[in-house]
Amino acid sequence: MEEITGNLVQSTEARVNVTYSGQNGDLPDPVFFEATDGDVKSWVTEAVANGGIPGIPAASDADFGDFVVDRFAATEDRPYNLIQLRPKTPFGI
Amino acid sequence: MIEAGVLIDKNGCPFHWHLPEGRTGGSIPDTRSLWDVIWDNRDHVLGFAHSHPGGGIPAPSWTDLTTFAAIEAALGRRLYWWITSSEHFIRLEWCGPEKTDYGFRTSEHTPDWVGELRMYSDHETDGVELILTMGS
Repeated sequence: MEEITGNLVQSTEARVNVTYSGQNGDLPDPVFFEATDGDVKSWVTEAVANGGIPGIPAASDADFGDFVVDRFAATEDRPYNLIQLRPKTPFGI
Repeated sequence: MIEAGVLIDKNGCPFHWHLPEGRTGGSIPDTRSLWDVIWDNRDHVLGFAHSHPGGGIPAPSWTDLTTFAAIEAALGRRLYWWITSSEHFIRLEWCGPEKTDYGFRTSEHTPDWVGELRMYSDHETDGVELILTMGS
């Protein structure tokens, strides 16, 4: 387990990072690394709506339906799993 | 011909050519790398342009509109979105009230980078990310 800002992140868990409204922040608590994309987006949506992500202002109309969930396994430099939510970037059909 | 893209800075200059693998004549795939460049240059980016092969006045697809809206939601500010065809060039910007309501205008002035974008569309160069020094 790795301790991140006081919250222990087990090997089956991940820190969730999101970029929204020009700011970047983490969910206060880790989540299961294999959580579905839908669950991750749902937790982030609720957290942003309630102002529950430090650094990201509350937004009751936040919609992460067109965001992508990227997953990164722990590394030597970052010894914990990471889930990042960022906007999609495809164009065309 | 395949689609190509480019990020434009606030000086109106191209600073990142977006030519990822998997581009087709009708699409540019989702890539994390494009978002990373936008985020790293969030104070300088004016907008993003991409090409639609073929002639006529281009129009944004639903994928285009939802991508515009998602990127702007993450950035917390609006951008310009240009689309070129072989003959025409339009600029879109959010006009509201819905998140995918973007209005467009054509322009008689065509920046030099439009020709370069059309060139990259004509020549199928895959898997290339060209990052220019800001201001060059």
